[in-house]
Amino acid sequence: MRLNDWQRELEAYLLGGDPTASPALRASLLGSPALSAEQGLAIYHNAYRARLLEALRGDYPAVHGWLGDQQFDALAGAYIAAHPSRYFSLRWLGAELASFIETYLVPAQAAPLGELARLEWAFGLAFDAAAAEPLTLAQVASLPAEDWPNLQVRLLPSVQWQLCRHNSLALWRASKAQDAFPASTALEQAQVCLIWRHGLVSQYRSLEPDEAAALHGMAVAGWSFAELCAHLHQLGQEAPLQAATWLRQWLGDGLLQRHGG
Amino acid sequence: MSAESSSLGYGLGLRTPYYQAILEQRPAVDWFEIISENYLVEGGKPLYYLDAIGEHYPLVMHGVSLSIGGPHQLDHDYLRRLKRLAQRVQPAWISDHLCWSRGNAHQLHDLLPLPYTEESLQYVAARVRQVQDLLERPLVLENVSSYLRSADDQFSEWQFLAALSELSGCELLLDVNNVYVSARNHGFEPWDFISGLPKQRIRQLHLAGHSDYGSYLIDTHDQPVSDPVWQLYQRTLRHLGPVATLLERDDHYPVLDELLGELEQARAYAAVALQEYRPCA
Repeated sequence: MRLNDWQRELEAYLLGGDPTASPALRASLLGSPALSAEQGLAIYHNAYRARLLEALRGDYPAVHGWLGDQQFDALAGAYIAAHPSRYFSLRWLGAELASFIETYLVPAQAAPLGELARLEWAFGLAFDAAAAEPLTLAQVASLPAEDWPNLQVRLLPSVQWQLCRHNSLALWRASKAQDAFPASTALEQAQVCLIWRHGLVSQYRSLEPDEAAALHGMAVAGWSFAELCAHLHQLGQEAPLQAATWLRQWLGDGLLQRHGG
Repeated sequence: MSAESSSLGYGLGLRTPYYQAILEQRPAVDWFEIISENYLVEGGKPLYYLDAIGEHYPLVMHGVSLSIGGPHQLDHDYLRRLKRLAQRVQPAWISDHLCWSRGNAHQLHDLLPLPYTEESLQYVAARVRQVQDLLERPLVLENVSSYLRSADDQFSEWQFLAALSELSGCELLLDVNNVYVSARNHGFEPWDFISGLPKQRIRQLHLAGHSDYGSYLIDTHDQPVSDPVWQLYQRTLRHLGPVATLLERDDHYPVLDELLGELEQARAYAAVALQEYRPCA
């Protein structure tokens, strides 16, 4: 058999669910008294699934814990069949799991579990995102007063913005602490959860809706500090103080980098 | 340069559970081998520890995704990133495996053996030359543990490696444990393999543990080096003289001290074997 044909046969065998090889593939192999061709094929067939499953269990410990081994493995097996790996590193194998969950499970289960998967993936993204120099409180404090109105910032590359409609963060915390999972519930009000890396350490924090809107306006939509104050006009004279309080918090968290001048 | 001085000495595979202990203890390890793919990321802990440990130890880059024998085009994005990592790490050399890990359509994430045919040889040699041109250095290729053997083989694995090295100029990473595992599985003499390789092309040795499934073995890297592999290692050094030796562990990680003890064992076995090494005049 030509090299390319043989590789096509073996690839199809490894990706397929059937551990029995095609007659063509079987005939292309020699066994030995120690290891038959069938045993050898089965070693690779099992190893392919085991390796991918292990990677997904590693990336999604809370989803795994919530579902248990059997259900998680069934989900992961269906995911691997639908999304075979296309990237050289297993680091990115699970990138589409949350979207897959939303189509694979019944809606009542899909919504909270998909959200939990997105949250876990976001922790991974924050973990090895590009490093960048955070803007510090001291740097901002040293700005001349006339520069403040035009101050613009952006989120650092590691900051992940997750909108949670369920108690996914509580489930994630329980998994991390190896505690019993709380029941999955919908939140009364959706909440933004930020996940980022400060130095080498992963951080997370839930934001109240008004703080989330302010941070989104300034660090995503591109408002200047003056525009942020203007959007807080309903606070009257308190607006600049509230804006400065939040800005101080975001700088202390290490969320921001300077944008523009 | 003598063989002794060109060998890096005795190294360990750099793995996440040991990062902190290595920085705190600065163990007497001559060098570390990294898995290149673990550092092809944008930032965070992996690169921080890589830089910090690289300040104190020589490093070698060992890849698992090149897929030099794969049916796909070479992944130039991967190679560019590998080269960028090499600029950061300044490795003593860059290695990967004689295998394929990616098919026509998908990544298979395994070190799959090739049929050892003239067709494979010409195909792989041409790709090795492309990679070497891109990386601007010789590629070092490792023999894999295997569980399949093609009925179309025209060469033994060692004949294939020797011919590939001759055709492409690549160097060899001789994994002594992989030789032992494949020899048991396929029924050949491990010494035929090792003595059949061109001595001067062997840049590095690997040592690791395997799991015994009765009639066959699986290369699991999750336990200490076995006695027959130590014996084969000693015979290899008596034949080759000093060669950079790397101990790998990829699962069931013991505490660092235990692994350092195993590396000391390698030094001790090597010291005895090298007393009997007689370089050819």
